[in-house]
Amino acid sequence: MSHPIEMAGISKAFGGSAALRDVSLALAPGTVHALMGENGAGKSTLMKILAGVHQPDSGEIRRAGRTVSFANPRAALEAGISTVFQELSLLPNMTIAENMFLGREPLGRLGGIDRRRMREETKGALARLGLALDPDTLVSELSIAERQFVEIAHGIDADADIFILDEPTAALNAADVDVLNRHIRTLREAGKAIVYISHRMDEIFAICDVVTVLKDGQLVGTRPLSEMTPASLIAMMVGRELEDLFPERGEGKGAAALAVSDLRLQADAKPFSFMVKKGEIVGFAGLEGQGQQKALRALVGQFAPVEGTVSRRGNTIRLPVPKESGVRRWQALGGAFVPEDRKDEGLFLDHSVGQNIVAALHGGRPALKAAKRYSSVIAETMRRLNVKASGPSDTVGALSGGNQQKVLLGRYLATDADLLLIEEPTRGVDVGAKAEIYRILRDFAKAGGAVLVLSRETVELIGLCDRLYVIHGNTIVSEMRAAEATEHGILDAALSA
Amino acid sequence: MTSPSSTLGKLITGRGSRQGLWLLPFIIAIAMALWLAITTSQFGQWSNLTNLVAQGMPLLITAVGQMFVVLVGGLDLSIGSVVSFTTAILALDLPGYLTIPGVFLFAGLIGATNGYCITRLNVHPIVATLSMQYVVLGITRVLRPVSGGTVPDSVRWLVEGSIFGLPLPLFWGVVTLLVAWKLLYGSRYGLHLFAIGGGVASGSNDAARNFGIPANRNILLAYVICSLFAALAGLFLAGRIVSGDPNVGLLMELDAITAVAIGGTQLSGGVGSLHGTVIGVAVLALLSNGMNLLNVTPFVQTAIKGVLLMAVVALQSRKKIGL
Repeated sequence: MSHPIEMAGISKAFGGSAALRDVSLALAPGTVHALMGENGAGKSTLMKILAGVHQPDSGEIRRAGRTVSFANPRAALEAGISTVFQELSLLPNMTIAENMFLGREPLGRLGGIDRRRMREETKGALARLGLALDPDTLVSELSIAERQFVEIAHGIDADADIFILDEPTAALNAADVDVLNRHIRTLREAGKAIVYISHRMDEIFAICDVVTVLKDGQLVGTRPLSEMTPASLIAMMVGRELEDLFPERGEGKGAAALAVSDLRLQADAKPFSFMVKKGEIVGFAGLEGQGQQKALRALVGQFAPVEGTVSRRGNTIRLPVPKESGVRRWQALGGAFVPEDRKDEGLFLDHSVGQNIVAALHGGRPALKAAKRYSSVIAETMRRLNVKASGPSDTVGALSGGNQQKVLLGRYLATDADLLLIEEPTRGVDVGAKAEIYRILRDFAKAGGAVLVLSRETVELIGLCDRLYVIHGNTIVSEMRAAEATEHGILDAALSA
Repeated sequence: MTSPSSTLGKLITGRGSRQGLWLLPFIIAIAMALWLAITTSQFGQWSNLTNLVAQGMPLLITAVGQMFVVLVGGLDLSIGSVVSFTTAILALDLPGYLTIPGVFLFAGLIGATNGYCITRLNVHPIVATLSMQYVVLGITRVLRPVSGGTVPDSVRWLVEGSIFGLPLPLFWGVVTLLVAWKLLYGSRYGLHLFAIGGGVASGSNDAARNFGIPANRNILLAYVICSLFAALAGLFLAGRIVSGDPNVGLLMELDAITAVAIGGTQLSGGVGSLHGTVIGVAVLALLSNGMNLLNVTPFVQTAIKGVLLMAVVALQSRKKIGL
């Protein structure tokens, strides 16, 4: 049987470092093929080769048995390979129809563009996905989910039979994920081959048929998912079991590092109080978007609650605090705030690892004082957090997600902060780096620090934290010890409140 | 599909459209014209109106050219020098059948060099075209240190003549706009320019390339087009001043950029419209014409131009596209 697409013995190096070594992958029609591995394992590189973004150094791609090579994404699309990349590739200032036909616009009379045909064909392609979008809408007006659907429609319209979805759900909410899954199933039933990259276990098991695991640029194996369990899949990815991910729990040691009382997030919400003890990791759990982030951001002025009082190191702060000075005041009190979106809100992506690490130290000093070099601080932080970079002068944007997250954490651990507010500590981070980040946070707590964390991965909260507050409807509805918490129990507490 | 009220909302905010924010400058231009028509007796006279068109024409031509490079997130600072250079060549005392094609050939080469430096050597557009501005200005001053010489009669006629009682400058404007319209809206090339600019503005230079669009070639061509329009403006000016002048194009590049910006084209690329540029030119031309009629010194005009540019651009809440 000849596969619609087969990649054989693919190797690729960037500069000196090998991204892929002798990887082979065969896709079958009518299957959803999961591609898994830690960040930097080579998943995206492999798919970018298939999509024509990169060319392999050696190895070959066979399309229905014939050897092919793609000079650019356009050539791959013409060969029937459609890609929805992590970083969306639609142009925001063009309409849906223009994006669908970009580079292959039909020409009408006098060499002009046949816009009517573009509009009608686009409408047809969208309709096949059950989308009622106006083809003349600019892509910048669309939601992230809609943009992904448009990319899929683009592939359908180009008559693709291979669809590559690179972390399509990273930016989607639950309702949109359902719609996306429906589309994926429709594609599968139509006999298309789909590659699905994701870090979310539940999605992989819900939608995929086969899984291929990569590690350090090499093939670990390909298995039918029916033979796998989440635990065995993780073991395949990292060579160890899930329980090993989380370090041992600690105990809060009496004194409160942070006490918040009568916090009212919205005029119609019930006020609530909470506290974090020294040496303790506390999590905000519950369904997504129920006020966890608002409660945390209220402390640093990034959300304005109705009222509330914060006590910290003997100071009393009345909320709301101003947005401009909130984070600075928080840091002056020995606090740190690690935002969810490290790329947009956290790191200076174009700057070096070193500059990113010392940013908070510099931030705490008078503006006109000569900048210290802090080279020993940088070296120590990089060593302690095991940041994988060739040196402090590496650009942060070029690091893997896990290393970026460690740099961001390192920035605050390098200060004398003893209270860490952290959102989504391991978002878009591979399993190996997850374990390291959990250990870093636990070490921080053991040394007397306090951590307040929120995450949409409930398993992570249960494994990492000592105590959980369940938040629902902008207020705390339950408090539980993490050691006794279950996903079911948290959901139950949230919904029965 | 959209209700009228939201259409108006979109016009004001520029959302849902890549035409840029041209409504406010359009209202300003109309208001200026009405005010001048009411307060001065000369404004509405035929001689003033033809003068307005003739005076505004070099700005219109250069601004339309400038728009092509602004759409891909670039800038061309060399066009003022290209204008001066063109008048100097035309005044060389050579036959018109040599010099007229010659100026376009040179301009094309200048534009191609700009484009090559920017796309292949990765020089920032400001640096590349600023260098070119100096180079061309230097050569122009070698050719013609001070203004003088005469241009061929044919060139003079093209500007001063009239057909069917309509002054020829009007036709220059019509031809310029038709050519630009065809390139921008009636061809794949124009659509690709918007696409390239949209990619640049949203921080991904390869976005358009991933669709199979030869971005470097298209950008290079945009600089050639910009330069060719500058030569056209030079040809027009040479016909008006009937001589070569090394300083005639001085600062014209900045006026062109000003007009493009006032017309709602975003300097980050990907958003703008031809009619917006025409509006921007109209605002500047009316400003200069009106001040002349009201006997305000040119120095005050310059200051007002600056205030106007800042005010128009600042008043329009522009968002980075795609966010």
